[in-house]
Amino acid sequence: MRPARLRLSLSGLCLVATGGCSLRGAPSFPVVGAYFPDWMVCGLIGIGTAVGLRVVFLLTGIDALLSFRLFTYVALGVIAALTVWTLVFGP
Amino acid sequence: MQRIHVSGKKPVGTIIAVLCVGAAVVFGIHVSHEDSTHPSSDSGTIDAEVVHVASTVGGRLKELDVSVNQHVHKGDVLYRLDPEPYELTVRQAQANLDLAAAEVENQTRLLSIKTSNAATADDQVVRAQTNRDLAARTVQRLQTLAGKSYIPWQQYDQARVALHDAEVSLAQSRNQSVAATTAIGDLKSSIAAREASQAALDHARYELRQTTVIAPVDGYVTSLRVKTGEVLAPSQVLFTLIADDEWYAMANIREINLGAVQIGDCVTVHSMIDRRTPLRGHVESIGWGVLSADSAGIARSLPIVPRQMDWVHVAQRFPVRIRLEKTSPLLLRLGATATVEIRHGAACP
Repeated sequence: MRPARLRLSLSGLCLVATGGCSLRGAPSFPVVGAYFPDWMVCGLIGIGTAVGLRVVFLLTGIDALLSFRLFTYVALGVIAALTVWTLVFGP
Repeated sequence: MQRIHVSGKKPVGTIIAVLCVGAAVVFGIHVSHEDSTHPSSDSGTIDAEVVHVASTVGGRLKELDVSVNQHVHKGDVLYRLDPEPYELTVRQAQANLDLAAAEVENQTRLLSIKTSNAATADDQVVRAQTNRDLAARTVQRLQTLAGKSYIPWQQYDQARVALHDAEVSLAQSRNQSVAATTAIGDLKSSIAAREASQAALDHARYELRQTTVIAPVDGYVTSLRVKTGEVLAPSQVLFTLIADDEWYAMANIREINLGAVQIGDCVTVHSMIDRRTPLRGHVESIGWGVLSADSAGIARSLPIVPRQMDWVHVAQRFPVRIRLEKTSPLLLRLGATATVEIRHGAACP
């Protein structure tokens, strides 16, 4: 799938999920009068993804297969953050 | 509670860990490269050109036809100063010009009189010459007669005196003729005085016209805080006019990324007045210089070189000027925050 279509479907998913997600538009997000950069949003999404995957893997038992868990989860979070940046904000 | 081993013995887990970390590193390098080849800035500003509106003459503000934040068109009357002092100056200059013109006519008459005088003096020279010739011939004739004592010496002496008298008269009339010719002169000085008066009148009329100030460009009136009655000095700025024919975005881009910025590149600009509407623009130019704290110093003095022991140096940024395409004027206010994405973003597919 091409990035543009991926981006569209991701934005659509966002729109459905949150009822007006503000990822579209400028790569800068206003929070109570201050603008936060896009990479900070990506970082938060990465942290959230890592924590979420940890919970899911514990529940499903996949976690037992892993070793070097700290590095694995950090890497998964980084991949998630970079994926969001590439699809939503990247060139 | 189960103890978590940091260094596991499971080969599958190790492979997964290595794959994940490797993928993250490769992906990270890729994203870093993409980011540096597609520079962006989230601290840009919307920019426009301004005119500081002032008159070259001073005076009391008599009529103010605009109010703050109003839009004006090129050629509209913005304000008028009290024209009375300048009208008086025009009248004075007009009178001076009339005086100078009359003086030229006067000098013309005097010139014709002096020319006639010179002609008269020339005639006098001819008459004196004739008289002197007659006296000379008389002396010549009487000299022979007196030598033979046919006439008294007295008569011969009288003739010689008469000759001398005629010679003096001739020399005098020649001098008078030269003086009269020299005295004719010309009209140069009076004509120059008239030209000077004409220039003074034109200047006074120009200053009178400057009491009415018209809009030099289409734009918005800003920082206007006075009412009629204010007294303005010459060239005193009354307000600032923001030209709205061309809008720009200024973005500071790090020097290491400037190589990826080409003149004419497509740029996506978001004005934070409405962060959902992308504006399309093109790179117009890149700033050629910024003031550096290390090179700041007093001219003609020694350079100021601070001692240093810092190992990390922050990249210098240069302003990149982006010309925006026509868009809704509601999104464009000088100084508004803007995000700038060069060669990518919603407006550059």
